[in-house]
Amino acid sequence: MSKPTPPKLFRRFFEWFCDPTMHDFIEGDLMEVYYSRFRKSGKRSADFHFIIDVLLLFRPGIIRSKKSNSNFTRSVMLSNYLKTSIRSLWKSKLHSALNITGLTIGITCFLLIALYVFDELTFDNQHTNVERIYRVIEHKSVRGENTVIATSGYKLGEESPHAIPEVESVTRIQRQGRANLIDPEHPVPFQEDIVTVDERFLQVFDFPLLIGDRKTALKEPNSIVLDEDLAMRIFGKVDVVGRIVQFNFMDETLKVTGILRKSESNTSLIFNSLLSESTFYHREYFQETMKSDWASDNFQSYALLRPFSNADSVARKMTDLVLANYKPDDGTSLYYTLQAMNDVHLKSAGIVDGARNTNVIAMPQGNPLYVSIFSFAAFFVLLISAINYTNLTTARASSRVKEIGVRKAIGAMRSNLIWQFLFESILTTIISFVIAVLLVNLLLMPFNLFVGKHLSLGISTSLRFWMYAIGFVILIGFLSGSYAALLLSGLKPVSLLKGMKVQLQGDFSVRKILVVFQFSISIIMIVATIVLFLQVNFMNSTDLGFNKDLMVIVDINTRAARTNYESVKNEMSKLAAVKSVSVTSRVPGEWKTIRTIKIRPDGSNNEHMVSYMFGADKDFIKTFEVQLLQGRNFESKNDSLSVILNETAAKMLNITEASGQVVEIPSRARGNEYTPFTADNSPFKPRVIGIVKDFHFQSLHDKIEPLLLAYNDNPMHTIDYYSVRISSADIQSTLDQLKAIMVKNDVEDPFEYHFLDDQLALFYIEDGRRQTLLGWTALATIFIACLGLFGLATYSIEQRVKEIGIRKVLGATTTGVVGLVSKDFIKLVLIANIIALPIAFWATNLWLQDYAYHVSLDWWIFAVAGLLAIGIAFLTISYQAFKSAVANPVNSLRSE
Amino acid sequence: MYDDFLSSIVEFNSIIFIHLDYIISLMKKFQLGEFEEIVILTIGILNNQAYSVSIKEEIESRLSRTVSLGALHTALKRLEEKGYLKSFAGESNEDRAGRPKRFFEITAMGKRAMIHAKDERDQLWKAIPKTIMQS
Repeated sequence: MSKPTPPKLFRRFFEWFCDPTMHDFIEGDLMEVYYSRFRKSGKRSADFHFIIDVLLLFRPGIIRSKKSNSNFTRSVMLSNYLKTSIRSLWKSKLHSALNITGLTIGITCFLLIALYVFDELTFDNQHTNVERIYRVIEHKSVRGENTVIATSGYKLGEESPHAIPEVESVTRIQRQGRANLIDPEHPVPFQEDIVTVDERFLQVFDFPLLIGDRKTALKEPNSIVLDEDLAMRIFGKVDVVGRIVQFNFMDETLKVTGILRKSESNTSLIFNSLLSESTFYHREYFQETMKSDWASDNFQSYALLRPFSNADSVARKMTDLVLANYKPDDGTSLYYTLQAMNDVHLKSAGIVDGARNTNVIAMPQGNPLYVSIFSFAAFFVLLISAINYTNLTTARASSRVKEIGVRKAIGAMRSNLIWQFLFESILTTIISFVIAVLLVNLLLMPFNLFVGKHLSLGISTSLRFWMYAIGFVILIGFLSGSYAALLLSGLKPVSLLKGMKVQLQGDFSVRKILVVFQFSISIIMIVATIVLFLQVNFMNSTDLGFNKDLMVIVDINTRAARTNYESVKNEMSKLAAVKSVSVTSRVPGEWKTIRTIKIRPDGSNNEHMVSYMFGADKDFIKTFEVQLLQGRNFESKNDSLSVILNETAAKMLNITEASGQVVEIPSRARGNEYTPFTADNSPFKPRVIGIVKDFHFQSLHDKIEPLLLAYNDNPMHTIDYYSVRISSADIQSTLDQLKAIMVKNDVEDPFEYHFLDDQLALFYIEDGRRQTLLGWTALATIFIACLGLFGLATYSIEQRVKEIGIRKVLGATTTGVVGLVSKDFIKLVLIANIIALPIAFWATNLWLQDYAYHVSLDWWIFAVAGLLAIGIAFLTISYQAFKSAVANPVNSLRSE
Repeated sequence: MYDDFLSSIVEFNSIIFIHLDYIISLMKKFQLGEFEEIVILTIGILNNQAYSVSIKEEIESRLSRTVSLGALHTALKRLEEKGYLKSFAGESNEDRAGRPKRFFEITAMGKRAMIHAKDERDQLWKAIPKTIMQS
């Protein structure tokens, strides 16, 4: 019979903690007692008591002391590793400098990009309950036409907490437009977004309140919460709870009930004031419509679910709830989904940002493609610097074989040597990490300015970020040291000590592969940078079909400014510096939503098509310098039933010659639905009088869409802007004169203006940022790769110094020697070119498809990138190569 | 001059304290904890056959209390450190998985400590007025 064994785990535990001087005896005791128990009462009871015994043995006096032998040697070895590491770093200063510089640059790039990516990924994460907050998304299909839009009706938010047990709370938000918000005692008109939320808003979200009670601040009618900046602007101080403000579109005054801390930069919900929804409860229209408002597009709702709820099933219940109370029209189907708050920033492609007036700018959207591109770039830079380390360390290994040999001969185990090398690499990485953190802090100011974020790296940085970053860096230290460690520690001591120069044959090919890899990535980055640079340049300089320069766009914000447009326009055109003035509902390069309409040729039975529309006066074509291809321009007030098409719209409507064809426009987009103009559903039927050449009225990311220019006095969209073309002389005084005219016309109207070219540049600011970010990353990559190459060249020439000496004695020329030395490395870069260029072509091609109008990928881009890489590599090597080539061979051959 | 004086005082003081420490430690040395006393008495009973498991069993059978190996070994270790016990490795058997036994013997100092403890107890017993125990 085999003997029973006590629980292994506890026996091992005992062996681990027991004082070695007592271990044998006590273990004997334990076993003896165990067997006697086993005989008496069986295995289970014996096992149980064994465990108890072991646990009771775990006490001072029996636990080995900390300074037991094995630990002692370990700490001695650690301090020895530290000492030898520092000595070896110090001994070869060039090598260490190359290593540390490479790693520092790599880690710096990595940290900067990681901060950026981390910020994008943690968008909206400042809310404690962010995991449980969902945005309600409506999926609507009207006769086969699908819209996905972030809206819901009033009742859904009101009823679902009662009807659906998983829903803890729902809060509604409405962005109703813009209006003057003033302190009635000292009115200084300034346009602010009107954001209306219900009383639960501050309970679902954690926007921090400096002053006020988050439970009650938005409960009472006519309450408003301001953020500290806005309070400063209106009142000149922050503590203004209880003061009175007023929106100019409302009769009532509003009481300030709370002050919000300045909002964090990475939040999707942007506002600087919150108006209580209850303000409107007593109004007639509200009481009438909201009772039955189950499925309107008026609100954006955010639901706070109870922990461990399934969002999909809640969304189904919401759909059921709505459909139980509301019957959609025939041909219309409707369902709801819930989008996690975490996904709102990066995963909202295809979701319309609903419940906002067209005057309000949509939520900022992140681009997941770029987040992943940058993550890859950060990772690759780090990888390249790690490879660099590996390369340089293995290259230098031959100068350390003696040390390794001696260590082995006096009894170092392989594990000791591996630890020694790893320790060295981790030490180097840590040094680089510390320098990099300092460097990042220096660079953060310009970096923040340029990415438009408020990033910081310090104590306030989230712990999670530090953990990831430090973990990654230690991993990199580990990886970069491990190849050299494994390779060098495996050598035989005899061969190490006997022949002082060991050719590490196999490993040179590994190093070659690593160099090829480094340069491939560098080349891909160079190509990407060039292409993006050309693309951004293209977008900023391409002919848009209209003249964007020296154009001031003045917003029309009040009724007076709108109705008196004739006289305002007249006065403006009288100014000497003003060349031409036009009034329009929207402008080319528009930043707000451009209205769309349904359209078809009159008498046609086809489906209606969708076109964008501007209202424009007769001076539009002249002011914007748009080219009229055929037909005529608007001439007088009698043209209110005339329209002009752009080429795309003409093509869509099958009109080749503008000859007064009648088109039928039954409805216009309002919010996200198409609504008819009149109660009796009769369509608007204007005539086509002209066709203009296509111009880019939207950003170059989008294709030119059909566009209809209606007369400024039209039923579809009222005028919203004066566009003033000015001369370049003394712009400031021109602006002042324009302002005087606007103020004279209506004191209430704040003079709000934009320069059209600045506004257009905003479309491409993200592209510009990406270009710069990518450019710097590419620069860092190639710099690190060159550091590596420099180190390798130094080493390889050191190895061949005798060979070069003999060649020179035998008559080799300087160029011959330089060629000989450089050849090997240039070959590697050539191979890298062959690998990288097709990948670069494929990737950039894929990426340019994102732009509706883009540059073509010319062969020269790739040639430049390839030659650049070769050139830089050659320059790097040539210093060492020339030095060796012109050296006096006597010096290298004298001693043997 | 003054410094010399000061340092000599410090030196003197430290000598005094070292001696005091020594005296206190000597007095403490004769002290036996309750459990220690039981263990050392049991070792005496077992006479040359005393090793941890036999001590444990002896105590458990005579005093009807359970003794954990942990408590026993700490007590043994402490007693040995105080110089009351000495130990030597003994034979092994199959049950002990080849591990040796460790036998304990009472040293002369140990015997003095036992006597000292007993004397103290007796002295205390004698001092108790007879009337108290009679009732």
